[in-house]
Amino acid sequence: MESLQLLAEGFAGALSLENLVWVVVGCLLGTAVGVMPGLGSSMAVALLLPVTFSLEPTAAFIMFAGVYFGGLFGDSTMGILMNTPGQASAIASTFEGHKMAKQGRAAQALATAAIGAFIGGFVASVLVVFLAPALADFSSQFGPAEFFALAVFAFVATSSVVTDSPVKGLASLFLGLGIAVIGIDGVSGAPRFTMGSPNLFAGVSLVTVTVAVLALGEVIYVACLERHREGGTMIRPSGRPWLSRKELREAAPAWARGTVIGLPFGIVPAGGSEIPTFLAYGLEKKLDGRRKKPMFGKGAIRGLAAPEAAGNSTTGMAMGALLALGLPISATAAIMLAAFRQYGLQPGPLLFERAPDLVWALLASFFIAMIVLLILNLPFAMLWAKLLLIPRPYLYAGITVLCTLGIYATSGEVFDLLLLLGIGIVGFIMRAVDFPLAPLIIGMVLGPVAETGLRDAAMSSNGDFSILVQSPISITLYAVLLLVIGLTAWNRIAARRKERVGA
Amino acid sequence: MSGSNNPTAVSAVVGERLLFGRRSGRLSALIPPLIMPLFIAVFATYLAVGIATMEIPEGTAFPGPQFFPAIIMGGLYLFAVLLVISAVREWRAPAEDDDADDATEATTSTLVTRHVGMDWVSFAWVVGSVLVFALTLHYIGWVVGAALLFWCVARGFGERRPVASLVVGLTVSSLTYIAFDMGLGLSLPSGILGGGF
Repeated sequence: MESLQLLAEGFAGALSLENLVWVVVGCLLGTAVGVMPGLGSSMAVALLLPVTFSLEPTAAFIMFAGVYFGGLFGDSTMGILMNTPGQASAIASTFEGHKMAKQGRAAQALATAAIGAFIGGFVASVLVVFLAPALADFSSQFGPAEFFALAVFAFVATSSVVTDSPVKGLASLFLGLGIAVIGIDGVSGAPRFTMGSPNLFAGVSLVTVTVAVLALGEVIYVACLERHREGGTMIRPSGRPWLSRKELREAAPAWARGTVIGLPFGIVPAGGSEIPTFLAYGLEKKLDGRRKKPMFGKGAIRGLAAPEAAGNSTTGMAMGALLALGLPISATAAIMLAAFRQYGLQPGPLLFERAPDLVWALLASFFIAMIVLLILNLPFAMLWAKLLLIPRPYLYAGITVLCTLGIYATSGEVFDLLLLLGIGIVGFIMRAVDFPLAPLIIGMVLGPVAETGLRDAAMSSNGDFSILVQSPISITLYAVLLLVIGLTAWNRIAARRKERVGA
Repeated sequence: MSGSNNPTAVSAVVGERLLFGRRSGRLSALIPPLIMPLFIAVFATYLAVGIATMEIPEGTAFPGPQFFPAIIMGGLYLFAVLLVISAVREWRAPAEDDDADDATEATTSTLVTRHVGMDWVSFAWVVGSVLVFALTLHYIGWVVGAALLFWCVARGFGERRPVASLVVGLTVSSLTYIAFDMGLGLSLPSGILGGGF
C-alpha cells in the first residue's frame, strides 16, 4: 500500500506545530465564514487567497483546506436556527433542521449536522487518498487534445447544464474566456488587448476578478437591492449538544446513504454540492414515507443527517478531482486551482510527481481539518451562532475592506483597485439581472488550458483540427458530454410539457 | 431548487427573491435586460479592435494568437443578439405567470418573489467610497483610508450611528494593518500616519 506510506509521510509533514496552527486558523475562519450570513466558502477563499501569498505553499494550502471544509460545517447553522440557509448546499438541510430547532431540539440538530459533515468529508478524503493517484496516473496519458476536451466538458457542464438559461450561462462563460486572453500570449509572445498599458501585460489577475465578482459585486448587490428584505428571527439553541444512542441509531443509516449519494458528484462538473444534497433529502423522504410512523415534516433527524453528509462528501471528492485532473467542479475549486497556479504548481497528473510533499501533506491535513472541525463545532456550535448577531452594515463594510486589502496587498497598484471596482460593478449587474457567475470564473481559469490545448494540438498536426477527435479518451469525453446535454434537454422539455398540462 | 442562477451566492437563497426593475409592459422595463447584451457587445468590439490591430511576431504558426480570441468574439456577438431577442420577446409578452411563480416558490422553499427598484443612494455610497479610497490610499494611508471606507460602506447599508461605526472602522483598519503589514509582512501604505510607525 504505497498510498498509506505516502500518507503517513504527509501526516509527518502536516503535524508540525506551525502547520497545525494554520489548520486551526483555517478551520476557525472557515466555520466563522460558513456561519455568517453573506459569506460563502467561495467568497472566503477568494478573500483569503491574496493574503496567503506571503505564506509557504504547504501552510497556505493547509489553511485553505480548513477554510474549504469549515465553510460546509458552518453553513447549515443559519439554516437550522433562522430558517434561512447560508448557501445553496444547506437548503435541503434547512427543511427538517429548522423544524427540529422549533421543537427545542436545536442543539441536537446542530450536532447531527456537524457529525454528518464529518462522516461525509472523512469518507471522501479516504477515497481521495486511494483514487487520486490512480486518477492522476490515468490522466498522465492526456495530451493537448484530451485537455481541450476536458476543458470543453467543464465549460458546457457548468454553463448550460446547471443554469436555467444556457444563453446566459454561455455568455458568462465567454466573458470569462475573453478576460483570460488579455495579456501577453504565452505561445507567440504577442501582446493582446492591452492597449499598450504595461498594467495589462501580465493579464487581468484571476484574484482580482474573483474577489470583484464574488465579494465586491455581492456587497453592491446586497446594498442596492437585496437589503430591502425582511429578516428572520433566530432560535436560541439550548439543551444538550450531543445525541442520545437512540438518535445516533436513527441517524446513522441516513449519514451513510447521504455519503454514498454525494461521492460521485465530486468528480462530475455539475456545480458542486447542491444537487446531491437535494437527492439525499428526497431519498430519505421516500424511505421515511414507507415507515409506520413517518417523521418527515415533524423534524426528522434523517432529513437533516443525509443532506449534510452528501454535501461534504461531494466537496471532499471535488478536491480529488482538482488535484488529480486539474478539473474544478465549482467556483470554490476554481479559485483553489488559481491558488496552485500562483505558487507555480499545476494541479493534474504531474502534481503528484513534482510536489509529492505538498500533495500528501495537503491530503493529510484534510483528515486533521475534519477532526479539528468536529471538535470546534460539536460542543461550541452555540457560541458560533452568536456570530449571527453581527450587524449587517459592519459585516459588509468589513468584507469591502478585506476586498481592497487583498487586492492592494498582492499588486500594490492603484490600477488594480480601480479594476476591482470596475469588474465588481459588472459582477453586480450580472447578479442583478440573474446571470450565473460560476461559468465566468471557470472560463477564466480553464480558458488558457483550452487555448493552449487547442493550439498545441492543431500545430502538431499542421492545422488539421480533426486531431481533436481522434483519441479514444477525447471521443469518450465528447460522447459523455453529448449524453449529458441530451438528458438535460429531454428533462427540460418533459418539465415544460408537464407545466403545460398542469396549467 | 433555489430559482436563481447563482445558488452559492448567499443573497440568492436568503429571504425573498428579488427581481431587478419594474414589472414588464412599460418601455422602461426593457432597460435592465438590455444592459448585459450591450456590455457583452462592447466587450466583443474591444476584442475585435484588438484582434485587428494586434502585432504578431513573424514566423508564428497557424492557430496564432488571434485564433482563440476570434472564436470568443464571435460567440459574444452571437449571445448578445440572442439575449436581445429573448429580452424583447419577454417584454412583449407580459408576465402573467408572476403569481403562479410565487405560489410554486413558496411551497418548495422560503423564497418569495418581489420586484424592487434600485437603491441609487446606497450604490453611490458603496461605489463612490471604493473609488475615492483607491485614488487617495497612497496619500492618507491604510489605517485612515480603510476606516473611512468602512464608515462609508456601513452608511450605504443604512448604519445611522456615525461615531460607533467610525470606532469599529478604525479598529478593523488598525487590526488588519497590524496583522497583515506587521505580522505577515504585506506592504500597506502608512500614509499620513507614516511618521509614527
